[in-house]
Amino acid sequence: MPITRDTPVGYELVGVKKKAAIQLMGSRVWGRFNPNHWDPVYAAETGLKAPIQTGEMSSAYLAEMCVNHFGASFFTGARMVCRYIASISTNEVIVTHGVVTEKTSKGDGYRFKVDIWAENEAGEKKTVGFVEADVEV
Amino acid sequence: METDALRPMTEIQVAQTRAFVDSLNEECQTYWDMVEVGDVLERELHITPELVILYADGVEDYNPWYEGWKMNTWYVDGDSPFGGAIVPPMLVSHFVLSVQFDHTKPFAIGSIHTFHDSQILAPIPVGATVRIRAEAVDKFEKRGRRYVRHEVTVTDAETGTVYFTETRDILSL
Repeated sequence: MPITRDTPVGYELVGVKKKAAIQLMGSRVWGRFNPNHWDPVYAAETGLKAPIQTGEMSSAYLAEMCVNHFGASFFTGARMVCRYIASISTNEVIVTHGVVTEKTSKGDGYRFKVDIWAENEAGEKKTVGFVEADVEV
Repeated sequence: METDALRPMTEIQVAQTRAFVDSLNEECQTYWDMVEVGDVLERELHITPELVILYADGVEDYNPWYEGWKMNTWYVDGDSPFGGAIVPPMLVSHFVLSVQFDHTKPFAIGSIHTFHDSQILAPIPVGATVRIRAEAVDKFEKRGRRYVRHEVTVTDAETGTVYFTETRDILSL
């Protein structure tokens, strides 16, 4: 559902759902360079219960949600702020969320601010932040 | 925990995995000790269609706007609201890591990316070569933890177009 000039504050974005699959966490582009992202033996030696995703994977999940809603506007003058507050471990299922919190007049349209977060199925937040993007400006 | 605890492997795969992990062992220092405020590192990245596919497939993002390469047809111009294929909005942020850690020095230990404030200014065409510049602008301690802050600029290597800027923090042992 695209965000338009008529989208109200309080609107909830439809998120994306992903599984932290060990094969993807350890792919060459994403985490192969650091065994903490894919090797259970190395992860245990460094005090982790299991390999953890790079935080940037959850930023990518959140960006996918934002592109689904803002479309081309998310590539021109958008802002994305993320803080990684907890690790995502192997096999956790992550769902992204977003809620429109501000809508400010700009040009012929609006600049929207959306609180965003990624959490597991138990509702434990992993990544939190916000995005801003122009709509019909 | 065994090497094959999270995915099936034969003994040869286990051995190859252990050999690869052992190969990563090297003398290294903490990122805090490695970096001084004012340090600037820059590198160019050619964002090939295949690189975009590898990045997007890893996060299962199948938006057709990112496809400058497709199976069977291979190289294609692609299609997006900006004309041809474009790069996912946070792709270049992921590659800043490779710039922050000077690849000519041993890899820093105990470093965790904790925060980014990113400005996505213009779409990056698939096939562009970008220059990623990362400057260490601050080292600070917060609640007993040590952080290094960077300011990042991503520009088109040919035209100078500024595509992306970012403030990002690395937590260091």
